[in-house]
Amino acid sequence: MDRMDLSCLESAPRSRAAELCPADLMSQSVSGSSFPLPQVQDMDAFQRDAMAYIKPNHGTTTLGFIFEHGVIVAVDSRASSGTYISSQTVKKVIEINPFLLGTMAGGAADCQFWQRNLGMRCRLYELNNNRRISVRAASKLLANTMFSYKGMGLSMGTMIAGYDPTGPALWYVDSDGQRTSGKVFSVGSGSLYAYGVLDNGYKWDMAVEDAIELGQRSIYHATFRDAVSGGTVSVYHVTKDGWTKVRGVDVGQLHYKYYPECDLHPCHGKPPI
Amino acid sequence: MDYLMGLRGKDYVMVCSDTTAVQQIITIKHDEDKLMSVDDHTLLALSGEPGDRVQFSEFIKANVQLYNLRNSRKLGTKATANYLRGELATALRKRPYSTNLLIAGYDKGKGPSLYWCDYLATMHKMNIAGTGYGSYFVLSMFDRLWHKELTEEEGLALMLKGIDEVKKRLVVAPPSYCIKIIDANGTRTIKTISDSE
Amino acid sequence: MARRYDSRTTIFSPEGRLYQVEYAMEAISNAGAALGILATDGVVLAAEKKILSKLLDTGAVGVRREKMYKLDDHIACAVAGITSDANILINTCRLSAQRYQFAYQEPIPVEQLVRALCDNKQGYTQFGGLRPFGVSLLYAGWDDDRGFQLYQSDPSGNYGGWKATAIGANAHAAQNILKQDYKEDITLEAAVKLVIKVLNKTMDSTTLSPDKVELATITRNEDKDQVVFHIYKDDELKPLLDTANEAHQREKDAEA
Repeated sequence: MDRMDLSCLESAPRSRAAELCPADLMSQSVSGSSFPLPQVQDMDAFQRDAMAYIKPNHGTTTLGFIFEHGVIVAVDSRASSGTYISSQTVKKVIEINPFLLGTMAGGAADCQFWQRNLGMRCRLYELNNNRRISVRAASKLLANTMFSYKGMGLSMGTMIAGYDPTGPALWYVDSDGQRTSGKVFSVGSGSLYAYGVLDNGYKWDMAVEDAIELGQRSIYHATFRDAVSGGTVSVYHVTKDGWTKVRGVDVGQLHYKYYPECDLHPCHGKPPI
Repeated sequence: MDYLMGLRGKDYVMVCSDTTAVQQIITIKHDEDKLMSVDDHTLLALSGEPGDRVQFSEFIKANVQLYNLRNSRKLGTKATANYLRGELATALRKRPYSTNLLIAGYDKGKGPSLYWCDYLATMHKMNIAGTGYGSYFVLSMFDRLWHKELTEEEGLALMLKGIDEVKKRLVVAPPSYCIKIIDANGTRTIKTISDSE
Repeated sequence: MARRYDSRTTIFSPEGRLYQVEYAMEAISNAGAALGILATDGVVLAAEKKILSKLLDTGAVGVRREKMYKLDDHIACAVAGITSDANILINTCRLSAQRYQFAYQEPIPVEQLVRALCDNKQGYTQFGGLRPFGVSLLYAGWDDDRGFQLYQSDPSGNYGGWKATAIGANAHAAQNILKQDYKEDITLEAAVKLVIKVLNKTMDSTTLSPDKVELATITRNEDKDQVVFHIYKDDELKPLLDTANEAHQREKDAEA
C-alpha cells in the first residue's frame, strides 16, 4: 500500500532530463521548417513525464512547529524548473487571513490557486457564521478538495498553521488527500535536512526568540544541503493575536553570519592534492 | 509500513495497529490513530493510503450512524462489514479506495466477531487477521498460539509478542503501536507503545 | 364544492382534506376483507376471497391465491384493494427486501420494509398527475430485534403496528369484535380460531368454505433458526371452517 517514493533522494534532475530526451532524439525533428517534435511513440505519456519534470516539484523547504508561545512557520524562497532556478524570491507562505497561514511545496500554481480558494471559503465562512473558522475546519476544507481531485495530477504538500479559540494548531495536508495534525512538520525536498536540525533543537518551552532562530537555522541548513532550496528564509510567528512576519534574511548572508571564518564550517577542508 | 493485527478472544476482539504517519520516506507523526470507532460496538482498523483511509472510514462511519438514527437500531457487526464491503466493491470499478481493513465488533447476544477485508473488497470472517508485511511473521505465530478460550490477559500478551516479533524481524518495523479492545462494555485503548519501548 | 379539489391528488380542499386519498380508501372498504392477529408464538393472517364466477380456474397460476404474498423468508402480507395495484407494491417490497439483504447480508427488519413501502406510497399523495395506490396491506413478520410483528398500512402512506386489526369490507365491524375478544397472551391456535370466527360474522356469505377464505401463519422453527410461512391448504382449512360454521349456526339457533 505504502509506495516508497525515493525520487527525492536521487541526484539532481539532470539525470531524468537525459532519460526523457536523449540527446540524439532531441537533435532530430520531423521536418526542418515545422515545430520540432520529440520522436517518441507515446506523445501523451511523454508530455505527462515532461510536465512532471518541469513542475517545480518539491524543490522547497518549509517547516512549521507548535511550541509554548504559538506557532513558528519558516520557509525558503527558491523556485526551480528542473535544473533551472526560476526565482529566488518566491513567497511560499500564503497569508490566508490574519490568523491562518499556508505553506507551499510542490506545484506552485496548485498551491497558490487552492490556498487562495481556501482563503475565499474561509472568508465566506466568517461572513456566514460571524466567527473565524477553526484551523481544523479550514484544513479539512482543503483536504476534501485535495481528495476530490486525487489522482488527477495536483501536486501539493502544505501546512495550515493558525490560531483559533482552541489554541495554536498545525495541520499537514497534501495532494494525496492526507491530513493530519501535529506539533512538528517539515515538507519539501529539503525537509529531511530541516528535520535533522529541527528535531535536534526543538523544545516545547523554548523562548520566542530561540524558536524563531531554530526555524531560521533549520531552513538555512536545508538550503545548504538541498540544491533546489535557497534564496531567503522567511519566518512567521503565530500567536493569539494573529501572525507576524519576523524574519526575511538571505541565506547567503546567513552563511557568513553563522560561519564568519570558513574553517569553522564542517565542510571546510584543504584539497587532497 | 502499515501493520494491523486482530484477534478474536473468548468474549472480546483485540486489534492492534502501528501509529506512524508516513510521507514518502519520512515518518511525519508517531501518534496517528488508525483504529476508528464506527459506533460504541464496532471498530475499524485501517491501513493504506492515508487520504483514502480517512475518507473511506469517515464515509462508513457517517452512513452507519445515519442508519442507527433512522432506524432506532444499531447496525450489527456483520451487517456493517457487509455494507462496507459493498461500498468498497462499488468504488473498486470507479475510483477505488486503496485501503485494507479489519472490522472488529461485539454484538449483544452474538458475541465478538472479526472480519478481514482488502481493497479489492474480498472479505472473510476470521479468528485472527492481519495486513502488512509485519503480519506475515505474526499470523503464523498466532496460528500456533491462538485458541478460542483466550482471555483478555493472554490476548494482550500475544499481541505484544507479535509486536516484538515485528520489531525483531521486519526491516521497516514501525516504532509505535496502539492496542484497542472491544467487548460487552464497548471500546477502549488498553495499551500504547511509543518509540522508546 | 368538492369538484374543484378532488381532480388532483396534490391539492388540499378548504376543509384540509385530500379527496383522492380518501377515495382510494373508499375503494378498499368495498374490497374483500383481510385480518391479522399477533399471537405470542406467531402471527395469523386471514382474508376473504371474492370469487365472482364459477368458471374461474382457481387452479391457474396466480389466481388460486390472490390475497397472501410472501415478501421475503421472514415477512408475508395480506392485501385488500385493487389487486393490480397490490402487485406493483408487492414487487416493490420484494425488491426492497432483496436490496437490503444484498447490502447487509441479513434479513430486513420488518418495520424497515413497511416504512420503505409507505414512503413510496406517500409520494403518490403529493406529486401530481398520479393516483394513489388503492391498496391497504397487513404485514406479518419476524425479526431478531422485535420478534413477531403485525403492521397495517393504507393508501396515504400511514402505517402502524397492531396486536389485531382488519382492513377491507366491514373492517370496522371486524375490529370491534377483535377488540372484544383479543387477549394479551393469545396463542396462535386460539388466534386462528378467532380470525375464522370474525370472518364468519363479518362476511356477507353465510357459510365459510376454502374457496372463499385464505389463511396463513408466520411461526418460528427454533431448531433450524427459521421463520415458517404456512398457507393453509384446502384440506387443512376445511375442518376449521366447518367447526366455525357449526358454532355460528348454533349461536344463530340459540338466538332464534
